[in-house]
Amino acid sequence: MELIKRARQSQWYGVGLLLIVTALVWLVFKAMCPSTFGDPDQLLTYLQTGLIYAVGGCGLYFIVVMGLWDFSIGSVLVLSCLMAIGFSQSMGILGLIVAPILCGALLGAANGLAYIKLRIPSLIVTVGLSLIYESLSVFASGWSGTRLGDAYKMFGSYPWNLILAVLAFALCTFILKYTKLGTYVNAIGANEATAKNMGVNVDKYKFLAFVLCSTFVGIMAILYIGYGTAQTPMTGMLSQSLNFKPLMGTFFGLAFKKYGHPVAAIVIGEFIISMMFAGFVALGMPVTINNVVTGATLLAIICITTKRIKGAVVK
Amino acid sequence: MTTSNDTAIDPKTTAIDDKKKDAFAARIRGFLPLIGFVVILGFFAIATGGSILTPKNITLILSGGYMLMIAACGVWLIMTMGCLDFSQGSMLGVSCAVFCALSQYNLVLAILGGIATGGVIGAINAYFHVYRQIQSFVVTMCVMFLLRGVCAFITTTSPVYAATYVTTFNDMTLLMGITLAVLVITYVVTRFTSIGHNLKAIGANEKAARFAGIKVQKTKVIVYIVAGCLTGFAAFINAIKVGSVTSTAGNMLETQLLIAMVLGGMPINGGARARFSNIVIGVLSYLILQKGLVMMGFTTEIQQLILGVVFIIMVALFSDRSSNQVIK
Amino acid sequence: MEQKLLLHAEKIDKRFGPTHAVNEVSLDFLEGEVHALIGENGSGKSTFTNMLTGILPIGSGTFTLMGHDVAPKNQVDANHQGIAIVVQETGTLGGLSVADNMFLGDEDQFIRRGIKDTAAMNRKAQELLDAYGLGYIKATSIIDNYDFEDRKLVEIVKSTWFDPAVLVIDETTTALSQKGRDKLFEVMDHVRELGHCVIFISHDMGEVLKMADRISILRDGDFVTTVNREDVDEDQLKTLMVGRQMDDHYYRTDYPDYAREQPGETAVSVRGVTVPGMIDDISFDLHRGEILGIGGLSECGMHEVGKAIFGASYDRTGEVVLADGTKVKDINTAIDHSIAYASKDRDNESLLINDTIEDNIALPSMRDMGRVLSDKKLREFSDKYAVLMSTKMVSVNQYVSALSGGNKQKVVLARWLGKQSDILVLDSPTRGIDIKVKAAIYALLEQMRKENKAILIISEEIMELLGMCDRIFVMKDGKINGELTRSPELSEQDLISKMV
Repeated sequence: MELIKRARQSQWYGVGLLLIVTALVWLVFKAMCPSTFGDPDQLLTYLQTGLIYAVGGCGLYFIVVMGLWDFSIGSVLVLSCLMAIGFSQSMGILGLIVAPILCGALLGAANGLAYIKLRIPSLIVTVGLSLIYESLSVFASGWSGTRLGDAYKMFGSYPWNLILAVLAFALCTFILKYTKLGTYVNAIGANEATAKNMGVNVDKYKFLAFVLCSTFVGIMAILYIGYGTAQTPMTGMLSQSLNFKPLMGTFFGLAFKKYGHPVAAIVIGEFIISMMFAGFVALGMPVTINNVVTGATLLAIICITTKRIKGAVVK
Repeated sequence: MTTSNDTAIDPKTTAIDDKKKDAFAARIRGFLPLIGFVVILGFFAIATGGSILTPKNITLILSGGYMLMIAACGVWLIMTMGCLDFSQGSMLGVSCAVFCALSQYNLVLAILGGIATGGVIGAINAYFHVYRQIQSFVVTMCVMFLLRGVCAFITTTSPVYAATYVTTFNDMTLLMGITLAVLVITYVVTRFTSIGHNLKAIGANEKAARFAGIKVQKTKVIVYIVAGCLTGFAAFINAIKVGSVTSTAGNMLETQLLIAMVLGGMPINGGARARFSNIVIGVLSYLILQKGLVMMGFTTEIQQLILGVVFIIMVALFSDRSSNQVIK
Repeated sequence: MEQKLLLHAEKIDKRFGPTHAVNEVSLDFLEGEVHALIGENGSGKSTFTNMLTGILPIGSGTFTLMGHDVAPKNQVDANHQGIAIVVQETGTLGGLSVADNMFLGDEDQFIRRGIKDTAAMNRKAQELLDAYGLGYIKATSIIDNYDFEDRKLVEIVKSTWFDPAVLVIDETTTALSQKGRDKLFEVMDHVRELGHCVIFISHDMGEVLKMADRISILRDGDFVTTVNREDVDEDQLKTLMVGRQMDDHYYRTDYPDYAREQPGETAVSVRGVTVPGMIDDISFDLHRGEILGIGGLSECGMHEVGKAIFGASYDRTGEVVLADGTKVKDINTAIDHSIAYASKDRDNESLLINDTIEDNIALPSMRDMGRVLSDKKLREFSDKYAVLMSTKMVSVNQYVSALSGGNKQKVVLARWLGKQSDILVLDSPTRGIDIKVKAAIYALLEQMRKENKAILIISEEIMELLGMCDRIFVMKDGKINGELTRSPELSEQDLISKMV
């Protein structure tokens, strides 16, 4: 008992808990399909996809921790991928890396500006903007084409994807721990009115959080397009499907925030989710059920991580 | 000598000026949706050289709108309370599939089945929103996704076909009559019973509504179920027009509904400024806007671009907010 | 010993709508003193210090600190100008570490080229905690791991480590244990020794007399006087706090002989009602034809009692029973059994601000008007009661947000008049309302009393309770501390002695 109590106080309790869950999930699926699931090289594949979404989840974390939403990241991802494809053709590796990140930053700035100036709820404004970004992606693909040149696929596999992802995680951790922005997004999320009273420029930091979020989505795009090698434009709100996986990781991060290592929680959480989806595929789940599992999983995760307060007004 | 960190203004007079300005702005805002509708109509009448107003095109426009109009009634109820429903599209798809399947046996059973499906989905939405206290948008977004998967699964091998007699109902008078009936019922119920007032109260201030004796939780659950049923009924209309369900059935319906509501002047947070006219003017405006864009030869992506811009502008215009509110 | 002037307040004034919270108060604060500021609820002491510490903008007037005028824009700005405050509620933010909280808004001292030296910040925070004898609190720990008292102690460190010239302690002691209080007094002594000033707001007269050098009294926004600690005792302080002219233009003028009269039948019985953390085992009966009052300090729990009777309390144990045996457990039962409620939080609970006057008045009564509600019926209904209350409005279709405070309260009362409620629970019924409307409300209440309705007034205004109520319960720390009966001899001192 004493051991558990002391373990609880330790900073690594949350991470430890998540690792146990990871092992459990692996065990369950391994037991159900021993031949098609869970070999070491397959694990590496699960990790690969998990890393991609975790980068997005890190960016989204800045937004969700403040109680805001960003439902445009799917469309930002698509547009950033197309930018990567296009600029890699004209500017090589430099284009591949810089273009999507810059694209993300600019779109994030647009999100932030619209939210601050128009004073409408973040989820509405980002959904509206995603419609616009989606249509822009059609024009972009007309210019860039939809296939990534062979020479630029290195970020789709080891070691480059791992290196970039780790850099992104390090950046996220650094910002959260060693900058004012990191402190303030937590402060605004805890109590916006008190934070304002302490002189925190709430509008400025909300804006910066939007920029940061989409910038990380830009980084995610480098990994995403490297892995998928092709990206078609998406209209008709289809890009919303790309929001879900990163959001799941973000909620893992939120739930384990109090243990002090949200980024680790996001990464491990995405790994668990990747494993889970691969497990379902190994079980013979048809591809169409993918969406069912996605929707149900996100709902379940949010359900478990949401505290219920008597009489709270929830819209 | 005064030193203060706001200028020495008499707070009373600025308060009165602000109130007068607010009242004036509110009157203008009340007419904006109608003005918007006229502007849209006028713009496209000119831009298409009047051809949008031919009987053939008007019929086409209206025929695409019955489903939207019926589902909009349900969404209006939800939005008046300040909540959202993003699952409408795939809800329609799944309800339609149920209808089509059951239509092989019996029409009435099929219609009831479609309605019941919508109602059940609405109940699921309500459960997670009301009892687990998750924001309505997030709940319905997840359910939307989930149902899209269900719809895709059901139609994996082939679309689900309705019985052949179903498409014979595709008669304008019949469909228009059904739609008008739904509109009239919704109008009567919300205008002449306490329900309309209750919904507006919940949208205006949920806490105060509770203190005024409104059973907020129960009302929310009922409204979500009713909205689901209405969409389930709209699925019937959809089946009449299309005759089958594919994996993309109902795609974008929720976005179309959201844009339509906003065009109709519905404040995004609902409340007392919601009006029944939001439904009619909103859906009509949307239908003309969409048809007009198609007729002007714009590609789908440019249409979507314009719709997105219009949406954001309209939401900002009609938002009913006080300056001190913390907006998330 | 001549002490130098440290802070001078010159004609500080603040209004909130019709309420004149602080009325041209001028005060002197000296170096090296603990200066207590006392007064009832609504006397203006918190508003006064909130303007000094950047929480509220100054209405008019000047604060001059060591020769310079100061008008801080927020708390951190105030800190930079040498003024600090420890507030009554929680001033720390959950989810952040102790060190983060301590330096919130002030991180620039640790920032070099955009990078926050978190290690240095943690180190400094821990050093400070150790210096204050609070070494058991770890700077790197998330503040949620600590209870309210420890978090408050962190706030104290946060507000004093830079040796502010003026430290305001705003009713902080009430929520602290003895250990916490001792630590606070230690800090106050230290500030005094450094030649700075502590402005100490407290309701605990014992503490005030123990710690303060001088004591200033405010009453209804006015400055009354400043006294030296040696020259007064507790009773004299309480007398200074009250002692207004009884303005009996609008209160009741009758003094029934309660010994002879039978109390009316019991309308509501409150039995053993407890809400954890707020009220503890409250029991009393409310009779028809009487006006019952509950008074006390803001945090004594009386507001929760009102909610409990209306069925609006969460986590409530005990019973609220009506004459016919019905147990009130939720708002709708209360409303349907003729209980009305006007909340202290008028704009968020009593009224729907962003809705029409008509809706606000008619909502609870709609269920009595049959299945079909015509616009005409509703308009006539709400018009009738709005006019009955002489509400100043353009039409019932106006939004309540456009009305003044007094008229808003009239709408609230119109609602319950329309519902024909027999039992009225009114919390702070005349707060923020001008005199004319106050008089009208009192007249209405008196009339209702004659009509044999049961009225419960929960109020922080002692005069109101003395003027209107047949019986007054005084609550303290969640319990009923005394019961007083209306009589011409009943004075404010009698109430205050039980409240504080």
